[in-house]
Amino acid sequence: MKDEMCSVVENRQINKKYYVLKIKAPYIAEKAKPGNFVMLKASIGFEPLLKRPFGIFYAAPPYIWLYYEVVGRGTELIAHMKPDDEAQILGPLGNRFPEFRDRNILMVAGGRGIAPIYYAGLDYASSNRVFLIYGARSAGDLNLVDDLEKQPIKEIFLYTDDGSAGKKGFVTTDIRRIIEDHNIDVTVSCGPDAMFEALAAEIGGMAVENYVSLEALMGCGFGICYSCAVKTVEGDYKKVCTDGPVFRMEEIAWEK
Amino acid sequence: MGKIETVDLSADLGFAVLKNPVIPASGTFGYGVEFMEFFSLDILGAFILKGIYIDARDGNTPPRIHETAAGLLNSIGLAGPGAEALKGIIKQAAANTKTPIIVNVCGGSDKEYLEVAEIFDAMDEVAMLELNISCPNVKAGGKCPAQDRWHTYRLVKEVRENTKKPLIVKLSPNTHDVPSVAASAEEAGADGISLVNTFLGMAVDLEKRAPVFKNILAGLSGPAIKPLALKHVWDVAQTVSIPVIGIGGITTGRDVLEFILAGASAVQTGTINMVEPCASVRIIAELEETMKELGIKNLNEIKGKLNT
Repeated sequence: MKDEMCSVVENRQINKKYYVLKIKAPYIAEKAKPGNFVMLKASIGFEPLLKRPFGIFYAAPPYIWLYYEVVGRGTELIAHMKPDDEAQILGPLGNRFPEFRDRNILMVAGGRGIAPIYYAGLDYASSNRVFLIYGARSAGDLNLVDDLEKQPIKEIFLYTDDGSAGKKGFVTTDIRRIIEDHNIDVTVSCGPDAMFEALAAEIGGMAVENYVSLEALMGCGFGICYSCAVKTVEGDYKKVCTDGPVFRMEEIAWEK
Repeated sequence: MGKIETVDLSADLGFAVLKNPVIPASGTFGYGVEFMEFFSLDILGAFILKGIYIDARDGNTPPRIHETAAGLLNSIGLAGPGAEALKGIIKQAAANTKTPIIVNVCGGSDKEYLEVAEIFDAMDEVAMLELNISCPNVKAGGKCPAQDRWHTYRLVKEVRENTKKPLIVKLSPNTHDVPSVAASAEEAGADGISLVNTFLGMAVDLEKRAPVFKNILAGLSGPAIKPLALKHVWDVAQTVSIPVIGIGGITTGRDVLEFILAGASAVQTGTINMVEPCASVRIIAELEETMKELGIKNLNEIKGKLNT
């Protein structure tokens, strides 16, 4: 990991709230693995003070791509970044999704959780059969579908809460049937905590290996501030930044 | 006062001379080893480990941090592996650097403070102890020793009488008379004072109409507190004759010199270490540059020499 001064190559607005940021980050791009994340400083000064965590959406040296939703002060500033602007980026951080060969893998993404799922899915697709369930609140939150359809993914199942795109429902609506129909042996998911809680309840008992990539409020991203604690079934806390962000689904205590 | 070519960065604490005055603060520097991927620990004046109790602690229920204007509220809850496990980590850190390692001693009772202090006083790899008297104390109804100068006196005296290493006492600003607590620590035998720990503050979640933190109160740090910290350092430096280590919102070499002028002999860098892992290295480089520019040959030349 390295705290690298990087330059913005492109900051493409997808719709009113979502962007794809392409950054020249030679060191991070070289070392990045699917599942890793970065911490990006949105300001030069102290407003906001902390860097912001983003799961890597794609990496091809010397570039990395981040897919982000404008949700607050930090991402608002990032949305205003222009080509050649500089930003301090720390990475690559955290663990990676496990490596597989010749498996039937179901990727599950909720909203902006598609970012690390996209990177991992493309990586898995070269030596596994990859399926994708992708859900979001409504059509405007279900982005990148055209791009995903061009990728070597066996089948894509789309859902929105309000039915404005794909099928009306949640990522969990048909998941049991999809797992059975396609002999899925691994699931890899990323999304909000509520999605994980629903997923754990729905497929927790099935004979499938389940991996989740968690999102958390983070201070530092490299294990020193102990802010991003997540409770495990053992009752202790793990750090999302350095113990994760990828965990076995069974490790995490989902019920609040 | 013109530009000069060479400057002496060393910081004289009386009981030790550090190669420079920059010391990453407890709780913002992990156990040192986490930073070895970024820079050599040899660069630092010293470094202070995350606060330690006898037993392992899980820490508080999240959320544990909340950003404020140029600052950070935290309620981490002193999560840690416990004293026994820390010994191994210290050996690992010490094998990689000659820079003085300072243990931040915590306790839920006076007895626990003493036990922790004795364990690390016995370790050759530990250079000094920093007594964190801002821990909630079970017998004092949750109040920390730092809020009461008599409690501070008793605790510091007992730890001083039973340990040999230099003892720094870290003060809380959350009491009405910080200088008198500092004077009590000095009278009880402290070798140095470090201040300030975080300021108690709170944050409100408007949607939930509830406090952001389960404990309601949390500790404020970061650039936002620098003027408050300077004031406390100035007050205490005029009260005690032992060295004062300034802490609070330091992010540049110029900040370091401001604290030295206010009476500090050295400083601790805090929240900035979380934002920028190499911050302390940058600050040391800036300090040297600024001293050259301003014609300051050594820190003693300006320590406490604020023109008022």
